[in-house]
Amino acid sequence: MEPVGAGTTVVRTSQPSGGGVGSLPGVGEDGFFGIRFESIGGLGAHLAGKILAESVVLRQGLNGAHFSSYGSEKKGTPVKSFVRICAPEREVRTSSPVETPQLVAVFHEALAHSVDVAAGLSATGTLIVSTRKSPEAIREALHLRSGTVATLDALGIALQEKTRVNTAMLGAVARLCPIIDPEALKETLRASFAGRYAHLIDANLVTFDRGYREVQSTTRPAVPGDAARPVQRATPAFGYLDAPIGGAILDAGNSILRDLSTSRQGFIPALDLGACVHCGICDIVCPDLCFAWSDDGDGQPAVRLLGIDYRYCKGCLKCVDACPTGALTELREEEGWAEEHRVPLFPWLESRKGSE
Amino acid sequence: MAVAVDLSRSPSGSATQVVGFRTGNEMAALSAKQVNFHLMGYYPITPSTEVAEILDEMKAAGAHQIVMVPADGEHGAAGICFGAATGGGRVFNATSSQGLLYQLEELPVQSGSRYPMLLDIVTRTVSGPLDIRGDHSDLYYTLNTGWLIFTARDPQAVYDLNLIALRVAEHPEVRLPAIVAFDGFFTSHQKRRVYSFADDAIVQHWLGPVLEPVKALDPRRPVTIGPYMNDPDLINNKYQLERAMDAAGSAIPEVFAEYEALSGRHYDPVDLYRMDDAEVAVFLVNSAAQTAKDVVDRLRARGVRAGVVSPNVLRPFPAQAIKDVLRPVRALLIGERSSSYGAHGANLTHEVKSALQDDPANATICLSRVYGLGGRDFYAEDAEAFFSLAREAAESGTAEVPFDYYGVEPGDPTVALTRRRGTPPLTRQEVTSGLLHVAPGADGRLEVEAPPYWELATKPKRVVPGHGACPGCGIFPALDQFLRGIEGDVVVLYQTGCAMVVSTGYPYTSHRVTYVHNLFQNGAATLSGLVEVFHERVRRGELPADEDITFVMVTGDGGMDIGMGPAIGAALRRHGMIILEYDNEGYMNTGSQLSYSTPLGHLTSTSHVGPMELGKSFHHKDTPQIMAATNIPYVFTGVEGYPDDLVAKAAKAQWYAQYEGTVYGKVLISCPLNWKTEDRVGVEVVQAAVDSCFFPLYEVEHGITRLTYDPEPIGRRVPVADWLKLMGKTRHLCQPENGLTLAAIEAEIDRRWLRLKAKHENPLL
Repeated sequence: MEPVGAGTTVVRTSQPSGGGVGSLPGVGEDGFFGIRFESIGGLGAHLAGKILAESVVLRQGLNGAHFSSYGSEKKGTPVKSFVRICAPEREVRTSSPVETPQLVAVFHEALAHSVDVAAGLSATGTLIVSTRKSPEAIREALHLRSGTVATLDALGIALQEKTRVNTAMLGAVARLCPIIDPEALKETLRASFAGRYAHLIDANLVTFDRGYREVQSTTRPAVPGDAARPVQRATPAFGYLDAPIGGAILDAGNSILRDLSTSRQGFIPALDLGACVHCGICDIVCPDLCFAWSDDGDGQPAVRLLGIDYRYCKGCLKCVDACPTGALTELREEEGWAEEHRVPLFPWLESRKGSE
Repeated sequence: MAVAVDLSRSPSGSATQVVGFRTGNEMAALSAKQVNFHLMGYYPITPSTEVAEILDEMKAAGAHQIVMVPADGEHGAAGICFGAATGGGRVFNATSSQGLLYQLEELPVQSGSRYPMLLDIVTRTVSGPLDIRGDHSDLYYTLNTGWLIFTARDPQAVYDLNLIALRVAEHPEVRLPAIVAFDGFFTSHQKRRVYSFADDAIVQHWLGPVLEPVKALDPRRPVTIGPYMNDPDLINNKYQLERAMDAAGSAIPEVFAEYEALSGRHYDPVDLYRMDDAEVAVFLVNSAAQTAKDVVDRLRARGVRAGVVSPNVLRPFPAQAIKDVLRPVRALLIGERSSSYGAHGANLTHEVKSALQDDPANATICLSRVYGLGGRDFYAEDAEAFFSLAREAAESGTAEVPFDYYGVEPGDPTVALTRRRGTPPLTRQEVTSGLLHVAPGADGRLEVEAPPYWELATKPKRVVPGHGACPGCGIFPALDQFLRGIEGDVVVLYQTGCAMVVSTGYPYTSHRVTYVHNLFQNGAATLSGLVEVFHERVRRGELPADEDITFVMVTGDGGMDIGMGPAIGAALRRHGMIILEYDNEGYMNTGSQLSYSTPLGHLTSTSHVGPMELGKSFHHKDTPQIMAATNIPYVFTGVEGYPDDLVAKAAKAQWYAQYEGTVYGKVLISCPLNWKTEDRVGVEVVQAAVDSCFFPLYEVEHGITRLTYDPEPIGRRVPVADWLKLMGKTRHLCQPENGLTLAAIEAEIDRRWLRLKAKHENPLL
C-alpha cells in the first residue's frame, strides 16, 4: 500500500552520469551509493537514516545526503528514508527519492506484502529484512534471483534489549554495506544519544552489535540478463479528464477499501468470545472503529459482539486495557493469524475485486 | 553537532568555518541563532515549523536570547514582527503556504513603512485542495509586496542568503524587509554537507549594529508611524520604495562580494551553469535547477551545448543579467512551479520575456512550462524532457506550443467514477435510533433519556474505518460517541487538523455523511454560511420542507486559537450549529507545537525543557468560559471514554442547535504520540485529567453552570501530579526541582475549579 493517493506504476528512468568526479566502489551509474529504508512511521527509520548519513559525512569524510518521504499521514503509515553516499569531492545536487538503490533495508516485514520493497534494487544489490524467516525464504517470497538477501529478527532484539528496531537494523546495514565504517557509526550513535538520552547508550550499542552479528545473508551472482528491479512511482488517483471537478470525493466512506494491517508493530488483540459479556466498552475506546456487532440475537433484539476486523486494526491495544472480563488479550502477531481470525465489518467488500 | 573534520575542499574565506550535516530548516535556524535576532514572531505551519522548533530548543539550552513569540495565527505573527521592527528590533519570521497568505496584507505595510526584517518562506503549495508539499505558488504572491526576495537552492544557500539578505535589507539606502525562499521538503528537510561560521561573533560583526530607522521607543523624539495618507502623497511613498529596490540592485553585488571574502562562497544575482556557449537552456528556480545541472553535464558529454539559468534574487529582478546571458541562446525553457491561471505562462515567464523584449538583438525562443505543482518530484528525466523541448524549438526555429503544463495525466473517464465505491448512503431510519429523547424540563434545562451505551453499538457509524490516525488516537472514538448521540441527518465541517488530514486523504474519505473542509481558522464562518443558505433554500421551496440537518463543526484546540474570532462571531450571530473541539493540548497535526490550550510547563516542540526554559510559559486557555461569555444557549465539556456523559450532551447540543442557536463543546482526547505515552493508556490519562480537576466535566445551559461529574464527594479526586506523572511530556514537572511550576499549575487548577463549583452552586454566577 502506498501512502495516500493511489496505486503504483512501473516507469522508465534514466540516470545522470557520475560526471567524471571521484567514485566509490559499488556505486550506481549515477555515482551514488543509494540506500532506501522501507518502514512505517514510529519505528525510527528516519532517525536511522540520519545517523547513518551523518556518520558517513562527518566521521568518514565522504559526501552524502539524507531525507525521508513526507506526507501528513501519521505514525503507523508507510514511510521511506533515503541516503545517498558519494565521493567527498562530488557535489550532491539531486533532491529526488532514491529509486535505484544499492541497498534496501525493510524495518517492518508486513510491508513486503503490500509494496514491492525491492523496487529498483540493482541486480547485485542487497536487501535486508527484519523477520524471523531465513534469507532464502525471503528471497523466494520476493522473487529475488540474484544479489544479497539478509534477515535478522530486529523486533526480537529490540524487545529483548528494550530498544528500538532501528538500531538493530543499523547494525545489519553496517555489516552488509562495505562503505560504512561500523566503528564510526557506533561513535555517531553514541553522540546522538548523549545528553538527555545518555542512559540509553549502552543498550543501543548492544542492540547495534547484535544486529551486526546476528544478521544472516546469502548471495547469488547476477547472471547475464538479470536487470535491476523495475522502479515504482506513485501515480495519480485520477487524471484531468476523469477527476471530479473541484477535488471533491464523490464516494462516501470509501476509506473502508484501505487495509491498515501494516500499521501494527508486532502486536494484536485476540478476542475470546466465550469470556465476552458484550458490554461494548471495547467499541467505545477503539480508535479504528473495527469491532463488528450484530443486533439479531435469535429472533430477539440483542446487541452481540461478533469479532474484530483486523484489516483496520492498528494494534494500539486500548481494547485490551479496557476489557473488564479479560476476553481481549495481547498477542505477538504471527503471519496469517489476523486473516484467519478476522470478522469482516463489510462482508460485501470481500467479493469485490480491486480493494486497495 | 557540527564537527570540524578534515575535508579535501574546505572554504577559502577569511573567517573560520566548521562543517556540518544539516537540512535547510536547520540552517535557517542556525543563521538566526548566530544573528541573535531580538525577536521571532511565528505560527506553526508545515514545512517551515521546524525553524521555530529548533530555535526554541536552542533557546531552552541557552544558545541565544531571541524572544520567541508564539502568535495566535500568522496574521498575528506578522503584526508582532511589525511592532517589534518599529521598536528598532532585528526581527525574524518563517512561514509557508496559507500562513504566508494569511499574513499577506501585513507585507506591504512592512515594506511601505520601510522596516527591515527577515522572513524565510519555506515554499509550499497554496490550498485548495490542501496540499502540504512544496511548489512556489505561495512565493509568487509576494512578488508585488515591495520586499526583497532571495531564492536559496540548497541548505548552504539558506544559511548564506539569510545573512546576505539581512545585510542588504538593513543597507541605509535600501531599508526594506527581505524574504529568503527555499523549497519545502526538497531543501527544508534534506540534510547536506554544509559550512557555517565557527563563532556567532563573526556573523554579528559582519552584520554590524542594527539599523535604527524611525523608531517607536524614544519618548524624547516622538514620531507618528503609519499616518493616513491619500493622494497626491501616496504615489511618492511608493516611488521611494521603487528607488529603494534600485538601490538594492546596486547593493546586492557589493554584499555578495563582501560575503565571498568572508566565506569563500560566491553568489551572483543569477546563477549560471555552463552558459558560456550554451545554445539551449532552462530557467528554473531553486532545487530543480540543481537537478538540471546534473543533466547538463550528461548532455555536454554528448556534445549538446546546454546550460542552466537560475535566479538567486527575484526582487529586484535581475533583468540586465538575464538579458546579457540569453542573447546567444537559441531556445530557453522557463519551468515554473506555480501558475498564473489564464495568463498563458506564470509570472517569471513574463518577466524573463519582458527583459528580452528590451534587447533588440535578442532572438531567443521562449517556451514556458508549469511543472511540479503540489510538490511533484522533479527527476533528471524531467529536466531532460525540458532540454528536448528547447532543442526541438531551436532546431525548428519556432515554439510550437509556447505554454503548457508538464507532467499532467488525462486519466480514463470510462472507469473512474465507480472504481472506489465506499459505503451506501445512510437512510434517515438507520441514523435515527429512536432510543434518545430530549425535552425541556421544569427548571428550564433539557432532560435527556438515553439508553445504556451498548444499545447504540449497532447504530451505523458516521465515520467509517480506514482513517490514517496514529494508533491509540482519541479523536475518532470521541467523535463517534458524540455523533451516536445525534439523531437524523448530519453535515460536518472540519477545520484543518489531524482529524481532517487523516480522514480525507485523496481519493479516500472516512466520512459517510457530507463533509466540508475550510482552512484552519475559518470553519465557524464557513458553516454559518452553509447553515443560513440551508434555511433560506428551504424557505424558498428549493429544498424539501421536511429536510432536517444537524450541522457540526469539528476543530482541534489549535483551530480554536487561530479561529477564535470567527468562532465568537458565529456564536454572537447564534447560527444553529454545533462547534465541537477535540482538545489534545497542542498542534499535533504539525508535530506537537504549543497551543494556547497546552497547560503550563508542558513539553511541546515549541516549549522545550532545558536550563533556560521549562515547557510552556503560560497557563492553558479556558475556551469553554470564553464561549460561555458569548451567552450561547449551551456550552459543555466532555472526555473520550465516558460515553454516557458525552451522548447525553450530544443530544442536548442537537436540540439547542435546532431550536435556539450555537452550541460549543470541548472534548479532551488523548494523543499518545505527543503526550509521550503508550498507545493503549489514553482513557486512563484523560480520566486522571478529570479526577485531578484539571479538566472538569460540566455544562453551561442558558448561563447556568452544572457539574456533570464531581470527583470530590465520591472520593475520586487525585493530586495533579498523579495526572502529570502518566505522560512523558510532563514527567519533569513531578521532579522536586520543578516544584514551583507544579505548585503554579495546582494553584491555577484550584482557582478555576473553585470558581466553577461556586457557579455550580449558584445559578446567578
